[in-house]
Amino acid sequence: MTAPRTPGSGELVRLVAGREISTRLRDKTFLISSAVILLLVLGAMVFQAVVASGASKVTIGVVGDRAAMQPALVAQGEAAGADVTVVGLADAAAARRALASGDIDGALIDGTGSSPRLLVERTPDRTLTAGVQGAVGQVALGRQLTQAGIDEFRVPQVDVTAIHPGNDPTGERTGVAVVGMIVLYTLLILISQFVAQGVVEEKSTRVVELLLSTMKPWQLLAGKVIGLGLLGLAQIVAIAVVGVVGALAFDVVSLPGQLIGTVLWVVAWFVLGYAFYASVFAAAASLVSRQEDLAGVITPMSMVLVVGFFVAIQAASNPTGLLAVVTSYVPGLSPLVMPVRMAGGGVAWWQVLLAVVLQLVAIALVVRLGGRIYAGALLRTSGKTKLREALRAERL
Amino acid sequence: MTPHRASPREPTGADTVSDSNLTTGESVLEFDGLHKSFGDNHVLDGVGFSVAPGSMFGFCGSNGAGKTTTMRIAMGLVRADAGTVRWRGRPVDQEIRRRIGYMPEERGLYPKMRVGEQVTYFARLHGLDAGAAARASEEWTGRLGLGERRGDPVEKLSLGNQQRVQLAAALVSRPEVLILDEPFSGLDPVGVDSLAEGLADQARQGVPVVFSSHQLDLVERLCDSVGILARGRMVATGTVEELRRREAGRLLRVVVPEAAHGWAAALPGVRVVCEQAGDTLLELAAGTDDQSVLAAAVRTGRVTHFAWREPTLVELFREVVAAPTAEAAA
Repeated sequence: MTAPRTPGSGELVRLVAGREISTRLRDKTFLISSAVILLLVLGAMVFQAVVASGASKVTIGVVGDRAAMQPALVAQGEAAGADVTVVGLADAAAARRALASGDIDGALIDGTGSSPRLLVERTPDRTLTAGVQGAVGQVALGRQLTQAGIDEFRVPQVDVTAIHPGNDPTGERTGVAVVGMIVLYTLLILISQFVAQGVVEEKSTRVVELLLSTMKPWQLLAGKVIGLGLLGLAQIVAIAVVGVVGALAFDVVSLPGQLIGTVLWVVAWFVLGYAFYASVFAAAASLVSRQEDLAGVITPMSMVLVVGFFVAIQAASNPTGLLAVVTSYVPGLSPLVMPVRMAGGGVAWWQVLLAVVLQLVAIALVVRLGGRIYAGALLRTSGKTKLREALRAERL
Repeated sequence: MTPHRASPREPTGADTVSDSNLTTGESVLEFDGLHKSFGDNHVLDGVGFSVAPGSMFGFCGSNGAGKTTTMRIAMGLVRADAGTVRWRGRPVDQEIRRRIGYMPEERGLYPKMRVGEQVTYFARLHGLDAGAAARASEEWTGRLGLGERRGDPVEKLSLGNQQRVQLAAALVSRPEVLILDEPFSGLDPVGVDSLAEGLADQARQGVPVVFSSHQLDLVERLCDSVGILARGRMVATGTVEELRRREAGRLLRVVVPEAAHGWAAALPGVRVVCEQAGDTLLELAAGTDDQSVLAAAVRTGRVTHFAWREPTLVELFREVVAAPTAEAAA
């Protein structure tokens, strides 16, 4: 039998963190919530891809002179951003059958004649109607001009000049940042909640007494926060990887570089936000001895998170507004607002640095103060401990 | 009863006698002059006792006497206002505490964690490496009859079995000292016996065991020495024998079947504790001559029984605990 050694702080923190991770990895709530978040992100992307591509695929059946109509229909479709396929049909009856079976979206009968008709299954699609009307007009006009002896006619091409050339990335970046912020918010709430529940669990089951006879409160707290934080980080990184790979695979974004930059910032802000909220939640949770009392002490801090969430949503549409600018520096709110503001553009590096530094200062403060509250309140296992009592309590 | 309680405060009083008795032996674990107040509430007022290696120390006292606080001070869960707890002459610190097996008064385990993993976890917190911790966990869960339940979450176990897991958590790191707060509470008689056997086994291997209990018959049966705590002070410490001897010469049982009722009431320095059909229990004040009592008894009739009554621990306990005025006067 090997003689027990005295484990160092690092080892104790690792042991506590390891227990947190292995416990959560077997916890159904955690697994289900992780899967749900991942599925939501994937689903959002598939939806985007379907919406983006679904609208642009149109199949038109032509009864009559297909060769004459096809180029005009395809050209009209291109102008409307639709990918038009033209199929030839024998007669109106065949057209009705094809419509009924859903093989085609519309059937153009006698497109080159004097009374062209468009058959659709139910409600006519405006893009389809306009495109077919345009194509019929174009073909008819060409024929009439030819008949009038004008063989060559030229429609002036409209020249498009972009004032800021290149693909405008702001909207897309903001979209990514908002999705990232929602994931960040969800995970902050979820993992900080885990920290709080874990603290109360140890208090309510009195296991804390056994733990504190082998380690100091800060080692227990650090192990818990780091263990659950690593889980949260792994989750957000997994979501980020799935999101980026999915976005590229489904071709949802046009600028992968911008996307990855925004995603990395979201991950970095998660780390900062988590360190802050986990400490606050842990300290608040240490004040109560029963899970039933937990909501009462962590709701005020959860409200701050909710406020941050709505401000960040607002910042997406108005990233340069006063509210967005001010809150992007406020510790606790900045992890949610700053990534969105940054995606909106026009944020100087020093502004980001200032927000990061302020958040770091706040983290240092809450870790110190929260650690004191936690250590002071942890062994008061009867009822609720007042904040002042916890701060005044002797430290072990 | 109270007037006689001056005796432990006399020159050869309980504190002095017992302390010197114990410290002349080899003592490894010493509680020395512990004071603790919570606000105006003085919970401990100079608690001190020592425990010899391989001995079992029973810690008795009424509810709120300060037993738990004393143990929590040893485990670093409460800081003493004054006084120290020493292990082999060294003040107990975090490193030494890792070699103490502790069972808190209110049991503490992770309800959803599996038995085997939980015991392994506590072994690791006490400094065993992963392999040794797993082996020790397997050994102790097996020895405590939890072999079948290793894979079950603790909350699925009966209270008695949860208690065993708690004990396994205290024993798994092969502690050099055991400090157990009410380890027997909530156990059925079979559980009590198996735990008692387990603790005796630890003591035989040289591990000093300190435990608190309200079950005084158990303490009397198991413990080499006993400490009785009342109002934050040790009012009596020593072996059960020593305590008895100290109290001996005080309770006298005299049976005189044909004696008239109340025959002893008028004797100087004698108080009748109870009297029933010639069977009397007398309490003698210090300095009262037992032979004069015998002579008086013979005068009333044929004496069939005349002997010092060995008080049980329960009686000793009542005796020393129910003496608030002596403490205050001293």
